Amino acid sequence: MRRMIFRRLLGAVVQLFVVTIFAWLLFYVIARFTGASPAQRIAGKTASPAQIALVAKILGLNKPYWQQYLIFLGRLLHGNFGYSYFQDRDVSSILWPATRATASLVFGAAVIWLAVAAPIGAYGGLKPRSLGDVVGRALAIIGMSVPVFWLAPMMSYFFAFEPTQGRVLGLAILPRGTTLFPITGYVDFGQSPIEWAYHLILPWVTLAVGFAAVYIRYIRTLTAEQLGEDYTRTARAKGASTNRILVRHVGRNVAPTMTVLLGADVATALSGVFFVETVFNIPGLGWTGVYAIQNLDYPVITGVVIVSAFIAVLANTVVDLFHGVLDPRVRRMAAR
Amino acid sequence: MSVGTRVADMDLAPEPGQPRPLGLRQQAIRRLRRDPVFVIAFSIFIFLILAAIFGGPLAAHLTGHGENAQYASAINQDVLPLGIMQRTYFANGIVHNPHGSLFILGADALGRDELVRVLYGARISLLVAGGATALALMIGISLGLLAGYLGGWVDGIVNRLTETAMAFPNLLLAVGIAVVVGPGILNVVIIIALFTWYYPCRIVRSATASTKQMTFVAAARTMGARPRRILLVHLLPQVWGPLLVYATSIIANNILFEAGLSYLGVGVPPPTPSWGSMLSDAVTGGMYQVDLPLALIPGLALLITMLSFNLMGDSLRDAVDPKGTRR
Repeated sequence: MRRMIFRRLLGAVVQLFVVTIFAWLLFYVIARFTGASPAQRIAGKTASPAQIALVAKILGLNKPYWQQYLIFLGRLLHGNFGYSYFQDRDVSSILWPATRATASLVFGAAVIWLAVAAPIGAYGGLKPRSLGDVVGRALAIIGMSVPVFWLAPMMSYFFAFEPTQGRVLGLAILPRGTTLFPITGYVDFGQSPIEWAYHLILPWVTLAVGFAAVYIRYIRTLTAEQLGEDYTRTARAKGASTNRILVRHVGRNVAPTMTVLLGADVATALSGVFFVETVFNIPGLGWTGVYAIQNLDYPVITGVVIVSAFIAVLANTVVDLFHGVLDPRVRRMAAR
Repeated sequence: MSVGTRVADMDLAPEPGQPRPLGLRQQAIRRLRRDPVFVIAFSIFIFLILAAIFGGPLAAHLTGHGENAQYASAINQDVLPLGIMQRTYFANGIVHNPHGSLFILGADALGRDELVRVLYGARISLLVAGGATALALMIGISLGLLAGYLGGWVDGIVNRLTETAMAFPNLLLAVGIAVVVGPGILNVVIIIALFTWYYPCRIVRSATASTKQMTFVAAARTMGARPRRILLVHLLPQVWGPLLVYATSIIANNILFEAGLSYLGVGVPPPTPSWGSMLSDAVTGGMYQVDLPLALIPGLALLITMLSFNLMGDSLRDAVDPKGTRR
């Protein structure tokens, strides 16, 4: 077990290392040849060549590339992501609150998609080709096909904007100025947990739809597979109720696989966050990233990429270790 | 498709008087033709292809509106564009001209014909997604075949590469690259391929690794076939089945990928119509709140396309893998 933890952590560190190299090459080396140099951007448009050269010297841009990378890496290890080109702030002071907002969004969405997908998927696995299963599968394939960047404005329109105009689905049945859900905005959890949840309901549901669809299919397949196993037949033969079999036996065997899938999907969710956050105006990593892209604010873009990659790797690693705890077979395999 | 396909396909002489048993491929095709969901999804797919090839020019010819032409008469005095099935305004921007030209799906905020743009958008969407998928398959198949056949350190490197690539939020890195290299259709195709090659690679690798143990490969080798021939003639045909299934879902993914990049403004450069940028034009300015069809139309086009590909993928999976892990 200890060896497995060690190997997994080492793998995670290597992955993060690869990301820093990649991000540095992309935003600090290649970007210098395709756009204005960082020195030019910081010094401003009216700067004289001498001033630009001075800024370049302060930034260390005339050192050899390998030294520049080591400086970049050393700063990262101290939590220093550099200084924004566009906002007069440290990048790390921008990233920290953004990470909190994005974490709230992804976490809440994950709770919703699991809560929706588990019963539908389990029912489909239990009674394949029943009416409920067919409906569940149809919903799943529609949910998989809906682009999140279309769903987000649609949710915002029908559940937040239209009620303020006194309409629901085009029918004027509400008084004008009704607020069903807030259109935009974000309230920090520390400020007011209720307002936090209220402002996040639409974004949560929007982000959750696509994942719920995929998880309905996962859970359905896994449940059907487990129900065909001998141990479920034994459980049934000894008189266990269907609910008990589903929760105690199937659930216990499906859980490890589900945890691993969840870990991998945190990385996928961080991509969806881009669209949901911009439509609902949540100041998270995605919103910060889009704003930085529009202004070509490379230090912030780099920071967003590295922090997101860090979260994804962290999620994968934690989940893999947790997998070992849940599933003794994994422990044994890793021990070899 | 199982590993022993080729052996089963070999010309075993049928019993006299007995019909020759169907090969796996014919069985799959027969199953698909009897699957109503597949027939519908495939019809939509054919319709999409036709729309992508002929739709744009045809609509442009019939309406007389170019895909990027802006019509001042399609915008009224409150700067609102024409709605669905409305004719252009008189110069005062208040009254519709009964003899003005008809905008079947209305106009966008710049006074461009929405129908013509959606149809040209289908072309961009399928072209970019198809091109990126083809490129991703080429990279994935080559690396997968090599890794699976050679094993050893080549396999190790390819495995590490795919694992690392899969662990990261790929849209984010794609956007980062797109920002740095700048906009352009070819750039988008390459970027998308860069983030999708590892799915086919893993499939081909595992299929090749297990197939190379089969007797027919050993037989080919004893007959003096060189590695290149074994790879291309003996091993590659074995993986077409699973690849076909995956290709449909990869194309679906790539359509979303392109639309997403264009939505974020780093994909297909304007004014070329793309469903993603049409959607973002409608959404970012808040235009969709007064003119919902501007967001509905490209969104529905995307939804229908995705549904068609996802349903086809499901049916193909069932047909190719009859034992059915899914049902």
